Amino acid sequence: MKALDDVWRREAPHVLGALLRKYSDLGDCEEALQEAAEAAAAQWPVDGIPDSPRGWLITVASRRLIDRARADTARARRETLDAAQRPEAVDDRTVPDHDDTLRLFFLCCHPALTRPSQVALCLRSVAGLGVEQIAAAYLVPARTMTQRLTRARTALRQAGAQFVMPSEQELPDRVAAVIDVCHLVFTEGYARTSGEALLDVQLAEEAIRLVRQLHAALPDHAEVAGALALMLLTHARSPARVDPTGDLVPLAAQDRALWRRDLITEGVELLERTLPRGHVGRFQLQAAIAAVHAEAATYEQTDWLQISVVYDMLSRVAPGPAVTLNHAVAVAMAHEPAAGLAMLDPLLDDPAMQRHHRLYAVRAHLLDLNGEPDAAAEQYRIAARLTSSLPEQRYLNRKLAR
Amino acid sequence: MKYVILIHSNPQPWGHPTSDYLAAHQALPDDVRKRLNAEFEQVMTELQANGELLGGEALGDPAGARLYRWRDGEPLASDGPYSEAKEHLAGFFLIDVDSKARAEEVAARFSGPDETVELRPMMWPGGDDQ
Repeated sequence: MKALDDVWRREAPHVLGALLRKYSDLGDCEEALQEAAEAAAAQWPVDGIPDSPRGWLITVASRRLIDRARADTARARRETLDAAQRPEAVDDRTVPDHDDTLRLFFLCCHPALTRPSQVALCLRSVAGLGVEQIAAAYLVPARTMTQRLTRARTALRQAGAQFVMPSEQELPDRVAAVIDVCHLVFTEGYARTSGEALLDVQLAEEAIRLVRQLHAALPDHAEVAGALALMLLTHARSPARVDPTGDLVPLAAQDRALWRRDLITEGVELLERTLPRGHVGRFQLQAAIAAVHAEAATYEQTDWLQISVVYDMLSRVAPGPAVTLNHAVAVAMAHEPAAGLAMLDPLLDDPAMQRHHRLYAVRAHLLDLNGEPDAAAEQYRIAARLTSSLPEQRYLNRKLAR
Repeated sequence: MKYVILIHSNPQPWGHPTSDYLAAHQALPDDVRKRLNAEFEQVMTELQANGELLGGEALGDPAGARLYRWRDGEPLASDGPYSEAKEHLAGFFLIDVDSKARAEEVAARFSGPDETVELRPMMWPGGDDQ
């Protein structure tokens, strides 16, 4: 059955693309594809996997769509009927695959959808994951995930979303949305410190797989390459970020021998090819920072000056409190803790940050470095109370108990 | 981001929806009560349709609670309610939303006269290694 699953995961997005080119409604096409999958699950183990699984799936799914269109004349979506009259027009060769992948990404990340809907739809339609798998990965009931997907498909229908390439003017924003969605999937998976191993879906790896597809379709897009590099370089740390008891190991204390060299090499090479090309966006800059960490033999040998310079660029390209926090750490490490602490003062007046644990955790760390343990303890206490991350709370409470 | 919305209330007699059994709610003009009820229905429908509602339950009368305290190395059972407080936990909803702002918006829409709605983030098994 593993072979069947592999074929399915590989072919499903292409089959969906071929169907969408003809029938346009994502909900209808996915239902037909689901029925084709069920037919395949019944037939392939008996008859063997067909020579062209893609062609087989397209044919079966198309027939279902045609049958439905005939039966369901009340809905009478004209385009569906038009297509039903010439089913031979559907084939899997006329359009290069990369275009289908892109169109599918753009459809799933349509601006009419909320981010969580875009995430769910991408994992379902582009990554080819089952609803139960996606629900389990996000720790929500399958019913909730089904509702999210149904809502998303209805919203696409209502917005008249088409399986087409966006216009030149729209393209930058649309690509940015796709990268954001992939990055959200990645961070959700990467941030996990427990439970993930028990799931059959590793979100961080799914995200990398998605961005690889996006990168293959848009090889010259610098931010797509940057996002892929960032994910590879960050994911490389995964084996070292959790200790055997399941506790979070901060970057400073990670055993760098456990870092995945293959991913680091690939990420750094990708970044070196991409950076000189011109437009440098936030993902390339974040990847550059991850690369500096990856290349330091020990935490102490980290080139903080370089990191602080890149954060300075990042704070101009994509300013935000999260960037300021990391920038302050880099400045504190490169220069002196007081300089980093001073950068945090304005955040204390920001209502959105006043109840955010990271602000206090970073202040605590910098106060510690500045030789002010009592003031640091007070900040650790606030941070520990505000975080809703179990491993971070344990870490912060340990800091308090010293 | 997952949150729990806790409804603290004291309907007399105990019943659900709690608003039907609260004097302050009953005292409202009919059209206002109708509007509040419709708004509640609307937020529930919206949460469900969006795939934001993970679940929720209405709780029984606190008089029917059984309490277990630790005495001399063993659990000691007694009858509820847990406290003489004005309000008791009457029910809860679990939601999974895009942002804290959205959670706050939803929680505010659960509020009504003579009840306290408490919004609490749920802990999650992940974190940042930076």
